[in-house]
Amino acid sequence: MLLKKEKWSAFTQALAAGRLWAPVKQDGAARFAPVAAGETPDLDYDNTTVPAKTLVFPQTETLYRYRLGQTAMELPGPGEEAVLLGVRPCDARAMEMVEKLFRWDVDDPYYLKRRALTTVVGLACKEPGANCFCPSVGGGPAGAEGMDLLMVDLGDAYLLETVSGKGEALLEGVKDLLEAAGPDAAAHKEQVVREAAGKIRRGVDPAGVPEGMPGLWEHPLWGQNAAACLGCGTCTYLCPTCHCFDIQDEVEGFDARRCRMWDSCMFAEYTLHTSGHNPRPTRRERTRNRINHKYNYFVQKFGVIACVGCGRCVNLCPVNIDIIEILRQAKEAL
Amino acid sequence: MDLEKLRKTAAEIVSREDVKYLIGWRQGTFGYRAAPCFVEDAAGAAELTFSPLCSANLATYLTLAEKLPVPRGKEPDSRKTALLVKGCDSRAVVQLLVEKGVKREELVIIGCPCPGMVDRALLAEVIPEESAPADLKWSGGGFVLVKNGLETALPRDRVLAEQCRLCRHPNPVVSDILLGEPVQPWEVGPDGGVDEIEAKDVADRWDYWEEQFSRCLRCYACRNACPLCYCKDCILDRLNPTWINRAVNFSENTAYHLARAFHLAGRCIECGACERACPAHIPLGKLNRKLAREVRDQYGFEPGLDANAEPFQAAFKPDDPEEFIL
Amino acid sequence: MSEQFEPNIVAFLCNWCSYAGADLAGTSRVQYPANINVIRVMCSGRVNPLYVMNALQQGADGVLVSGCHPGDCHYMEGNFYARRRLGLLKELLEFAGVDPRRFHMSWVSASEGHKWKEVVEKTVEDARAAGPFDQFRRRQIDW
Repeated sequence: MLLKKEKWSAFTQALAAGRLWAPVKQDGAARFAPVAAGETPDLDYDNTTVPAKTLVFPQTETLYRYRLGQTAMELPGPGEEAVLLGVRPCDARAMEMVEKLFRWDVDDPYYLKRRALTTVVGLACKEPGANCFCPSVGGGPAGAEGMDLLMVDLGDAYLLETVSGKGEALLEGVKDLLEAAGPDAAAHKEQVVREAAGKIRRGVDPAGVPEGMPGLWEHPLWGQNAAACLGCGTCTYLCPTCHCFDIQDEVEGFDARRCRMWDSCMFAEYTLHTSGHNPRPTRRERTRNRINHKYNYFVQKFGVIACVGCGRCVNLCPVNIDIIEILRQAKEAL
Repeated sequence: MDLEKLRKTAAEIVSREDVKYLIGWRQGTFGYRAAPCFVEDAAGAAELTFSPLCSANLATYLTLAEKLPVPRGKEPDSRKTALLVKGCDSRAVVQLLVEKGVKREELVIIGCPCPGMVDRALLAEVIPEESAPADLKWSGGGFVLVKNGLETALPRDRVLAEQCRLCRHPNPVVSDILLGEPVQPWEVGPDGGVDEIEAKDVADRWDYWEEQFSRCLRCYACRNACPLCYCKDCILDRLNPTWINRAVNFSENTAYHLARAFHLAGRCIECGACERACPAHIPLGKLNRKLAREVRDQYGFEPGLDANAEPFQAAFKPDDPEEFIL
Repeated sequence: MSEQFEPNIVAFLCNWCSYAGADLAGTSRVQYPANINVIRVMCSGRVNPLYVMNALQQGADGVLVSGCHPGDCHYMEGNFYARRRLGLLKELLEFAGVDPRRFHMSWVSASEGHKWKEVVEKTVEDARAAGPFDQFRRRQIDW
């Protein structure tokens, strides 16, 4: 289906009747924020600083509430449906990957509930960022994995492609605003996507890396790359596929809640034992773990590389630790 | 700066028996980046560089090294660490010496007089950042971007980083070897960022910071990038007592940022590392500079200049200001 | 009668002077507002700025730190350190948008029961004028 750009405002208004999240720009960076009725989201953005995962896997999430001295606990309610508008293909694909993990040994009700309630409207990329490398890891500027609906900017209109039942239902609600796509729309999309892919300058072919990782366990490349690491959580917190969390009880007076919050394997205390022993004592082991988790362990367990090539960790690392460069070195060392 | 001389000097120093490694800067892997690097042998010195992109404060690494237990029967590695310093890096080193965070005899300090660093974001506004690494040079009173052999001149005022605009000590205050000629310190104008907030009334200030702190991810990049945040036992890592909850929300984020700024009161040397590291672009430098300004104006103290000074918060004068006391 | 806002004040008093001063005010039957919640510490120099922040986070509308007069510290110099640190903390809180009327520091000696009354009245009045301080409270965030 086609959505003419003059109908864009009406389209978002229709979606904003429910809960709608879309990127907004603030101080030069985009982030997902709720769109109130009357506002029109602007899709002219590179990518959000914080990935869309934060909307299905919030940084801090209350698991249940209780009162000290009592056994009863209060569980979260059924939740609300929401639409995420303008999710980039890498972020949508990451949500699908993380879902594999949250469905693995035990179904995680919190993640799966939010995932089920969320309709993801993706947006194909026209202008990839300086460090985008999604084609290297199996994605692409118009990949629809993890989305319910994919939008492709064709200049004067958006081409809408339904990916799932949820996407179809969403389109059904706004069908008055749409028109059928002409016969040349597919070719036009093809061309837009090809142009976008042509603008991606960085990348590395990870073939052989997952199998080769164990052999590189003691390779000096880990120490060399981790030498400048500050041990902050930027790379992991901003990674759309990183999903580690910590569980804490927070008490105020007699009111308490158990919550989970993002944790980062780049922090020393992540693996610190009560005894004081730390099996990953330095940043070399931690960096090695971060890369191995994405390019080795996750592949062994779920058959897919847990990196979607969004380039956030490369862009925002304060000291320029570059996963593409690490992979290139790893490939060379194989 | 003569890069050949820098590399030659560095190669000589890392070849010394008593030097473990040298910490310097190398060209980054993309766009407007330079990265800290660790040079362990003379060959490695060839990748060293010093450009207007080398804003990372290398003094951070002096206290960041994680030491593994020394195996029985072995001697601990007592070799020295060599590092390149700009004005701000050297002030951080001095402050570390004041606090006995590092020992002077364990350091070889190579001073690089610094004509000012660029702000990557401002630079990207003028010329968009691309995937390929770009090279930047100082030239005349401004900067020159070298890309694909083409040189583009950039006016200094347009792209100079904020902390450099306010820098009063561009020359290293401590060094064993000084590379190149000292630069002439420049006229420092008013600190617009801090003044702007001071001009707001108190409720508007709260709203301003609420908007900023709400974005915080608590990745602790600001803490870790800071050369003077090096407590082995940080209050943030403590669970008992929990000073600041792990939950990420505005209240906890505010408590974190105020605690961080306060812990740097009278210690912060205004290098801007915290603000540069922040992925959420929170203007942390304003908090630090406000406190640094009060320490300077009210108490007449400037940290990081004198290695024999008393640590500001662990000292007092009988006539410290007390107008605020009831 | 309209209901007046009663602020919640946390006061950190040093054991040797201000706590004794408050005690004297009590034994001398000096009337002062009951909004003060006293926490006794050994010295005003022991008051970590985090205490002040934590008190505000946990629902205090105002914080008072009181110690010995300069030169009278039981530990010789504890209150001098407190003066330097908390003076800066006051600047920082004000810069961050915390109403300056919410945080006070005073010197009250063991013999100054009446001064204690004045300090408390001033602190309570200021906090009352500043109003409830809910913005900084720890949050039970939604699900």
